Amino acid sequence: MRKELRRWAERLRERALAEGLSFPPVLFEEVGPEEMAMLAAYGGFPRRYPHWRFGSEYLRYRETYRYGLGRIYELVVNTHPVRAYLLRGNTLLAQKLVMAHVYAHADFFQNNLAFKPIPKDMHEEMAHHAAFVEKAMERHGARSVEEFLDLALSLENLIDPQALYIQREEDASPKERPPDRLRVRPYLDPYVNPPPEPPKEAEEGASPSPLPPRPTRDILGFLARHAPLAPWQKGILEIIREESLYYVPQAATKILNEGWATYWHTRLLLPLLSPAEALEFAELQAGLLAPQGLNPYRLGYLLLKEVEDRWDKGRFGPEYEALPLGERLTYERPTGEGLKKLFQVRTIHTDLGFLDSFLTPEFALRQRLISPEDLPRFAEAKQALLFRLTNAGYPIVELVDANYGNRGELLLEHAYEGVGLDLKKTKAVLENLHRLWGRPVHLKTVVEGKEALLSAGA
Amino acid sequence: MRPIERDLLRFKEIVRGEVKKRAREFLTREELFGQVEGRLVSIPLPQLELPKIVYGEPLGEGLGLGGPGTESLGPGGHVPVAELELEEFLDLMGEALRLPRLRPKGEGEVTEEAFRYTTIARKGPRGLRHVRRTLKESLKRALITGEYRPEEPLLVPEREDLRYKAPKTKPRPHAQAVVLFALDVSGSMREEELRLVKTLSFWITLWIKRHFPRLERRYLLHDAEAWEVSEEEFFRAREGGGTRLSSALLLAEEILKPYPEAFYNRYLYHFSDGENWQGDTAVALEALRRLLPTLALYGYAQVQGPYGQGHFLEDLKETLGEEEGLAATEVRGKEDLPLALRRLLGG
Repeated sequence: MRKELRRWAERLRERALAEGLSFPPVLFEEVGPEEMAMLAAYGGFPRRYPHWRFGSEYLRYRETYRYGLGRIYELVVNTHPVRAYLLRGNTLLAQKLVMAHVYAHADFFQNNLAFKPIPKDMHEEMAHHAAFVEKAMERHGARSVEEFLDLALSLENLIDPQALYIQREEDASPKERPPDRLRVRPYLDPYVNPPPEPPKEAEEGASPSPLPPRPTRDILGFLARHAPLAPWQKGILEIIREESLYYVPQAATKILNEGWATYWHTRLLLPLLSPAEALEFAELQAGLLAPQGLNPYRLGYLLLKEVEDRWDKGRFGPEYEALPLGERLTYERPTGEGLKKLFQVRTIHTDLGFLDSFLTPEFALRQRLISPEDLPRFAEAKQALLFRLTNAGYPIVELVDANYGNRGELLLEHAYEGVGLDLKKTKAVLENLHRLWGRPVHLKTVVEGKEALLSAGA
Repeated sequence: MRPIERDLLRFKEIVRGEVKKRAREFLTREELFGQVEGRLVSIPLPQLELPKIVYGEPLGEGLGLGGPGTESLGPGGHVPVAELELEEFLDLMGEALRLPRLRPKGEGEVTEEAFRYTTIARKGPRGLRHVRRTLKESLKRALITGEYRPEEPLLVPEREDLRYKAPKTKPRPHAQAVVLFALDVSGSMREEELRLVKTLSFWITLWIKRHFPRLERRYLLHDAEAWEVSEEEFFRAREGGGTRLSSALLLAEEILKPYPEAFYNRYLYHFSDGENWQGDTAVALEALRRLLPTLALYGYAQVQGPYGQGHFLEDLKETLGEEEGLAATEVRGKEDLPLALRRLLGG
């Protein structure tokens, strides 16, 4: 990396630490556009398992850059040390902005609670996964492994996002896990700890406990344990599941995380700008904060500024909450607790909690997210926004019964919230599930206002 | 090869092999109309999508925050882009959707001179010297004069042996075509409907262009009045105002005047929700009756707006349904696009 950049990286790091951010070492690397496109396609990691969808993403990023329709300024990966890639050829100011931005992301990864259970050596994990899939391809043929990956990837959103944070009972049942079980990476588990021989029918108890014992969202995990598949196939299901879970906190904190990083690059950089740089900075900032759709940078940044301002002026607490809207706007009880509050928000919230707690009608009005005459609709509009962020915008689907109708069929249930499913795609997914499970698969949902049971293989 | 190149190659293989059965999905995907070096592009970046359980309708936007995503820092948003295997893609799409081949109508043929380096000349610039032919001449001469000795086959070309590649002019018949798009931007057409017809216009243009490389494109917008616009304005058009379909047809007549039917294949496409002002339909149909015989095709696509659709489609079919060169269809949603496209191209 250029000497000047390195000097700035150091300077910004010191400032960030002095202001109260805390983060592991950050390794910056400058890369060209093609390499950046590759890293972005691979979700930030230099080595992933072979699959065409990475090629498709790569093409998209590469061409986007080529036609000047967009560029990736920066890519930051949550590992220890944090790795961050800068686009070579950007101006020094852009690189400075990005580096300050990255330090705040690194702080967020380290301190936000949603990221606590995320392994910090994910680049190694990803490389292991790649090796596993490549090995499977060698042994079982690239084509059949690819086909299986296609099936598995179409189920990648059928996970339990909470699995990272709580241990469900079913996993802990002592009968299923004898104490001499070796703890290994999940995808190696079927090899190292092969499942015990199924009990002979004669020995079997009167009534086996139902499967799953209670409805579960962890459908990928369930299939990996119970579907009639070869060990390598189960391994792939585990891999897809694990990688999906890795990205859960990132998807769940996009607005807060980008807002936090934007808040800090602005705060760290503004005092250091030369007059000549001020205009360029303003231009970069304007592009970043453009009011265009749901721009997480804009919404996150503005809302954090709002929180800081409110807590600086003491606009919180029961006394404040009790005031009518008009009086709230002028209420003042200076406390200077803004920054402290921001650090708390950064630690405990995901986007849902962040918006739910702080997205007020006052804010929406001031930022013109809503027009005055629509104000009575505010609660409804906010609800719609929160719904969009719930479960990363995916429908919530549970596995209810793996022995539906006592025929070994799968029964899934969609937690219908007033928005129907894309039937064409859903049916295709059910077909895929049927191919994995080997028996018919059903999904209970609501179609055009009426309860419906979609089935595949029946 | 880097792993990502391997993945890309594999992706392209799949697209090439399977695009036929997937083209339908492509077309219904949203297109981006972007600017590249001042030119308007939209694009069929091939995308294969693995099915997932997803919501079937766009989630409520809430708080005026909806709309397209953004691409700035980080790999968050996605912007679709130009992928330049358009020709190939068009062919595949044509096959998959059974799009009709367009035939030049009338005698509208103009010959064009095309240069091809297909002959040999004795004179020419050094850069075009045809080495093999020159040596061949040299060998012939050596054999005739007896200078050639097989044990020491040395050829020295002389001036008379030199041969050059030479161009030949070939007259090539070349049909000309003009396409005019008329778009109803009255208040009853919403963003959603406008997007549908813009997508249609884009693909229609590409398909006609495939058959008439020298395609002239003109655009007009209308509500109660009609006015001509640039391509760019057309694709950016927003709604507002009342509707008088005849205004578009009368202006179309004007715009098409410089393209005499004897020399041009004239295509006119008209997009509306059919909510015409009372009393105007008769005027519109009358204008159309005059215009129709001079056109290669009049395509009328009626979209379904939030308040349903108007009667113009019915009226049109009733009065002029039997006429040749009329292609009328309705578009109620994205799913109808492939069929509408085929219809509008006369298939």
